[in-house]
Amino acid sequence: MDDRLRETLSAMMDDEADELSVRRLLSHGSPDDVCQQWQRWQQVRDLMHDGRSPMEGIDVSAGVRAVLEGRTVDPVRKKREVHKTPVRWQWPAAAMAVGALFIGFGAGAGWEYIGVVPASSVAVSEPAGVPETDTTHEVALQGLDKEQWGYMNRYLLEHAQHNSVGAGQGSVGYARLVSANDSGH
Amino acid sequence: MTQTNLMQASQLAVKTGKSGTPSMTSDKDQQLGKRSDSQTDSQLVRKVRNGDRAAFDLLVVKYQSRVASIISRYVYDSQEVMDLTQETFIKAYRAMERFRGDSAFYTWLYRIAVNTAKNYLESRSRRPQGSADVVDAENFDDGRQLRDLASPERLLHRDELQQALSQAIAGLPEELRSAFLLREYDGLSYEDIARILECPIGTVRSRIFRARDAVDRHIGPLLNES
Repeated sequence: MDDRLRETLSAMMDDEADELSVRRLLSHGSPDDVCQQWQRWQQVRDLMHDGRSPMEGIDVSAGVRAVLEGRTVDPVRKKREVHKTPVRWQWPAAAMAVGALFIGFGAGAGWEYIGVVPASSVAVSEPAGVPETDTTHEVALQGLDKEQWGYMNRYLLEHAQHNSVGAGQGSVGYARLVSANDSGH
Repeated sequence: MTQTNLMQASQLAVKTGKSGTPSMTSDKDQQLGKRSDSQTDSQLVRKVRNGDRAAFDLLVVKYQSRVASIISRYVYDSQEVMDLTQETFIKAYRAMERFRGDSAFYTWLYRIAVNTAKNYLESRSRRPQGSADVVDAENFDDGRQLRDLASPERLLHRDELQQALSQAIAGLPEELRSAFLLREYDGLSYEDIARILECPIGTVRSRIFRARDAVDRHIGPLLNES
């Protein structure tokens, strides 16, 4: 940077530089030189007026430039992200816990049983070549007599009561329903 | 400086409400702060808007100490002050398109600094540790209102620098020293200095530059140590 440009920079310090000179200065090939010279003169001014040495001051110019050029992340934003990190994993964890509870409740409420009903209708409409053993349960359920239906109704009532009490503990009604079928009723 | 010129300087200072005697504690600093918002800032802001990042670097260097000063009235941790100062400038750069120039650039910048500090404290659910508002910010032209965080080492370094500065100024040729001091301590314009020293404005400009250069060469090594 030649003396003429430095003189312009000095005039800029005093708010006495004209537009054209400033443009010429800023189009100088080495902006780092300009910035360093400017910084030293600002430091001298701080020292003269505030009695503050550069060591007590602060220099964020390099950091600002790095962020604006995308070479690094804004430190405050980074801190906020770090601060927010626990919140990020807390939500999925909470969702998983609720999901597990819900599934446990769902199992207890006999969702799988609901799945059996359409299966039976499918089984009824199956073609004749299907092995008989596959449709045994459904036939047995549909072919219950009055006494067996009464027993089944009582059983289902008990089962519902059991679920309402034990839903939170993840009781599995389906297994019991199967065992009830397996009992031959 | 002749006796007549000194008298003229005093009269001019009286006219502008300032003392003619160089002083580290006078209200001349306030004038420096007010002066700084006009021409150079406007020029640099225009350049930044045209995509000149080097111009923004100059604004950062010019105002970083003062922005840090006002943030330090809210936040006491020096690392946090530094981070928030940096964030203030990043926000300012990104919002530069929205700066209409209704207020001075430094007033606008200080508003961003105050809001950045307040938002930071709110985000951490903390009450402001210090107190300052936008009105304070607008009147906050220099760093003398700062809390003094100087360590003994820094104080020693500050004394060393002050001494070197005094020596550098004392060692300047008389015509350079007069122009330089009238500018720095009395805050006079080049035109006023030219009238007092009875020389062309270009000469004043050159003398002030040479004075700055000489002082810089004298205390430059100490500044670099910082």
